[in-house]
Amino acid sequence: MAVTRTETAGGGMERRGFLKAVSAGGAGAALAGCGTEKVERLIPYVTAPEEITPGVATWYASVCGECASACGVRVRTREGRAVMIEGNPDHPVSRGGLCSRGVSALQGLYNPDRVAAPLRAAAGGFEPISWSEAMDVVARRLGGQGPALFLTGREGPAEADLLNRFVEAVGGQRLILDPLDDVALRAAADVAFGVRALPRYDIAAARQLVSFGADFLETWVSPAGFSADFATLHGVDHGEKGRFVFVGPRLSLTGLNADEWIPAKAGSEAAVALALAGELVRRHGADAGPYTELVAGRTLAGAAEAAGVSEDLLAELAARFAEGGVLALGPGLAGHHGAATAANLAVLVLNAAAGNLGRTLHVPAAPDSEAASPRRDVARAVEQMAAGGFDVVVVAGANPVYALPPATEFGAAFDRAPFKIAIASTLDETAAKADLVLPGAHPLESWGDSEPAAGAYAVRQPVMRPVPLFDSRALPDVLIDAGRRLGHDFGAETARDFVRQAAEARMDELGVEGADRETRWRRLLRRGAVQTDDVEARDGGALRPPATAVSFEAPAMEGPGDLVLLVHPSPRFGDGAHANRPWLQELPDPVSKIMWHSWLEMHPATAERLGIRREGEVVRVSSAHDSLELPVWFHPGIREDAVAVPMGGGHDNYGRFANGHGANPQRLLPDAEDPASGARSVVSVRVEVTPTGAWRRLASTEGTRDVRHHQDDRNIALAVALSSMGHGDEAEGHADEGGHGEGAHGQLQELQQGGGFVPVPTEGKAADFPLPGSDFGEYGEPQPRWAMAVDLDKCTGCSACVTACQAENNIPWVEEREVLNGREMHWLRVERYYETVDASGGGPLDVRFLPMMCQHCNNAPCEPVCPVFAAYHTPDGLNAQAYNRCVGTRYCANNCPYKVRVFNWYRYASENIPEPMNWQFNPDVTVRDNGVMEKCTFCVQRIRDAGNRAAVEGREVRDGEVRTACQSVCGSDAITFGNIKDADSTVAAMAADERSYRVLDALINTQPAVHYLKKAVFHDVDEGAH
Amino acid sequence: MIRKSLFAGGGLVAVLAAAVVLEARQAPQEPDPAAAPAGERSQPIQFRHDLHAGQFRIDCQYCHFSAERSVDAGIPPVETCVGCHREGLVAGRTNPEEVAKVREHFESGTPIPWRRIYKVSDHVKFPHMRHVAAGVTCQTCHGEVQEMGVLEDVAPEAGGLKMGWCVSCHLERGASRDCTVCHY
Repeated sequence: MAVTRTETAGGGMERRGFLKAVSAGGAGAALAGCGTEKVERLIPYVTAPEEITPGVATWYASVCGECASACGVRVRTREGRAVMIEGNPDHPVSRGGLCSRGVSALQGLYNPDRVAAPLRAAAGGFEPISWSEAMDVVARRLGGQGPALFLTGREGPAEADLLNRFVEAVGGQRLILDPLDDVALRAAADVAFGVRALPRYDIAAARQLVSFGADFLETWVSPAGFSADFATLHGVDHGEKGRFVFVGPRLSLTGLNADEWIPAKAGSEAAVALALAGELVRRHGADAGPYTELVAGRTLAGAAEAAGVSEDLLAELAARFAEGGVLALGPGLAGHHGAATAANLAVLVLNAAAGNLGRTLHVPAAPDSEAASPRRDVARAVEQMAAGGFDVVVVAGANPVYALPPATEFGAAFDRAPFKIAIASTLDETAAKADLVLPGAHPLESWGDSEPAAGAYAVRQPVMRPVPLFDSRALPDVLIDAGRRLGHDFGAETARDFVRQAAEARMDELGVEGADRETRWRRLLRRGAVQTDDVEARDGGALRPPATAVSFEAPAMEGPGDLVLLVHPSPRFGDGAHANRPWLQELPDPVSKIMWHSWLEMHPATAERLGIRREGEVVRVSSAHDSLELPVWFHPGIREDAVAVPMGGGHDNYGRFANGHGANPQRLLPDAEDPASGARSVVSVRVEVTPTGAWRRLASTEGTRDVRHHQDDRNIALAVALSSMGHGDEAEGHADEGGHGEGAHGQLQELQQGGGFVPVPTEGKAADFPLPGSDFGEYGEPQPRWAMAVDLDKCTGCSACVTACQAENNIPWVEEREVLNGREMHWLRVERYYETVDASGGGPLDVRFLPMMCQHCNNAPCEPVCPVFAAYHTPDGLNAQAYNRCVGTRYCANNCPYKVRVFNWYRYASENIPEPMNWQFNPDVTVRDNGVMEKCTFCVQRIRDAGNRAAVEGREVRDGEVRTACQSVCGSDAITFGNIKDADSTVAAMAADERSYRVLDALINTQPAVHYLKKAVFHDVDEGAH
Repeated sequence: MIRKSLFAGGGLVAVLAAAVVLEARQAPQEPDPAAAPAGERSQPIQFRHDLHAGQFRIDCQYCHFSAERSVDAGIPPVETCVGCHREGLVAGRTNPEEVAKVREHFESGTPIPWRRIYKVSDHVKFPHMRHVAAGVTCQTCHGEVQEMGVLEDVAPEAGGLKMGWCVSCHLERGASRDCTVCHY
């Protein structure tokens, strides 16, 4: 069951060939079944690769290729297969964090819908051809006289360099498509500082933070890096934390993390930012350079009216800016409307007036070379393409037929191009229209590089041989080969050589030292990135006067309706490129908690006005361009004059996990732009919403269908007022108390007198395991007590931990129908509770996230009800589940107050996971079959592995040596794991923190091993309740 | 003495199998490859542990290279066999035709599809290195491999690799009997 690489007698040679290539000799190639009819084979290497020891994981540092953020990753491989991805702590920007999309790269690598061989369009479909035939066609087509158009994504420096040289050599034109790139910010930086580059924000060095809509914890620029910075700024430290204010019409995941919300209308960012700068100039004599006069005339009253918020809120925010150290971000894609450059410029001016230039906002010296092309360039290319202006169109790393609004008429124009080549991983909407499809290698199989920050350099290396089922090639290899056939020499034979040369040159430039080139290169590969620190000097600096007059008027919203449509990137799918991954489809959206389908976000008051009574009612959303049918989801964090739809749904030809799920909001958008930057408008239409009378159940993990999604009085996710922290007398009492009074406990005791579950009468700490009376045999020996601490003040709810847990523990997905039956299998879920959200008045905001997993209670309610002792406690304190004992009574799940046990109703893992996605299975974890209960194990396989290694080396397991999967991707370092009996361990210190509490412990005396640290909030918290 | 030297190496003879069972053990000097069951149930190459581990006293871990540091003992790559059985080096006096097969595999770059003999169930984790470190000999689980010819069956000493047999040893040695030591 563990690794089902079965080969029965007479099995196919393909499998055998594969095992030869990647399997380690030995038991790593574990095989199924023990009956005599099956003959299992042990296929050793002919020549063993040096770096592989069967049964021992090999880690590779690399660069994530899932989006342009290019975070650092460490990929765990077993016997030559990638099985897990974690963040690389040595990476200068992402610093160990990784998002769900990054972890899900494994499902891109092993995606069953990947193109298996080069395909040539033939009557009624495609026919496979050989690479040499395909490359002959490529060379012939690109060697012609007519111009070629190259549509690509944003690439790393080496790949981009090669691409640009290639395009130049064959006389073509290259356009960069990346719907999530902040084109407007770059244009604004050009106006403000004369450098067309994304400014670098140092959130960690700021004292307070304001985001004008930028979702910097999700998709904007570098979410993993920003998460780490945000944890520094916003995490409570010695009773202090930096306040975060969110300005915008909709609370994204980022917005939900704010301490205060100013629900400003879409398109009012410039008005608010300039008025705030005006206050600084008028009252505090701040300098806004050439904009000083302009902003001095901007009043808070005017801004309040433009934004539809109270002036008091803005005055309060202005006062904060006057305190100094307030950094403003944004507005990101939420500000990509008809006046996007002005909105971005206004925020940059505000930063200048607030004195942030050179402190927390740095302007790079050189423009960004890889930036998404302006809409008008794309529009011109589409026109030319439609008119037959290009002989060949090459698409690589982009899916414009899906990602561009149909209003651009890209699809029709693309159809008319005489010859279309797609270098694509799957036969997506664009590749399906191509005449020649070349299977592109996955980033985990490819060479590449990135420049994560000034003075830093990171390299991407393949972590395994290309998956042998797919005869793919990386883009640079295709270009080099095509170049060779056309007589162009790029100075390298392979992508590896090319990247190596680029890396050497870049390291020379940066002055990276090493005994010799080989040593330096190997060190770069081992660490994944290098950082030199002498480059901060080239800061751009001061504001310059705009070359042409800039209008700061609010943008016009097109259309007849009265609701502004907010189309936003999905934290799960980005622009939709990650939709064909079941982990992400089944990841509850961090905001809505909905899986597998799209929804229309709407304020409950708006719904009432429109006669929509309950969630899930299907409405027709119509703009001037098209209409979509979507179920409504009530979000208290959106203005009443706006509705929102996430990007990423509605694929019709991307793959089995994406097709038919959700709807694509691009269909509602015009082919419009911000004239100053050419940024494509994302927030620019009004829509009409009309009920259809239909209803559907939302596939959601949220139990409460209450409009407010409150935790009511259950006291699960707690907060503490900053003002009440640091009083020594409270520290003792608060730990383990969970904020409950005697009343609840009294009730429980009454219940217990009536029989049923009677806990032992102790109120012990986690370290008190084993409980008195059970300390004999192994349980009486000195053993660790594994425990976890989760800092709710740092958790942003991003849900990367959920995907990491799924990847590490072979947790299957169950698909929408089964989710609707309540059968989702996640061992870890992130609860989201609204406490204080006011979309009309704004002000203090309190939304709490709480990662909920098995609490490994000392006094676990699940254990005494198991008739077969499958649920029991290990001597080292784990609440264990012995799968082969489990007979599936499900009593344990019924008796678990935390709802963290899940049941395999079907053979989700053994039958529903298609080849080769099951290659990702972690060989250290049993794949569970139907009829078995399962739940979080505290990554027991990692505990045992560390224990084995420690035993062989004759020492104890060190603190921090065992890192759980959820912990190993957390960008904000909210999760700590260790032995709580070790008084010097980090987890023991966390558990002793004055904010520490345990969920429901005070009520039912479960004595969990998971300690939560209360969120620290600025407003008062009702003592005894939350 | 043989056994002792094997212990000293701390080696584990892993998972391989025997075509000739009792006969081979009784008369290891007279192997008869032709007597081995034909077809898929026999080993592709009549590798004799009695010659290698017994007569020549090659340490178990010379071939099963990762037993000391990994959960898996490791099946030697063909390269390891050819390391000794190169032309003109160790000819393989006893079974030259079998050695020729090994060379063929090496030259053609095809791995040897050994039949697996020792296997615990899929839901069992057996970390070899931990047992080696605890001084458990290879023979404890795999039988007197150094006296066996071609491995075709699990040695009777191995208790059918059943849980009761594992637990009895854990009991005897005071090792943990917690479920999650082996099952997770």
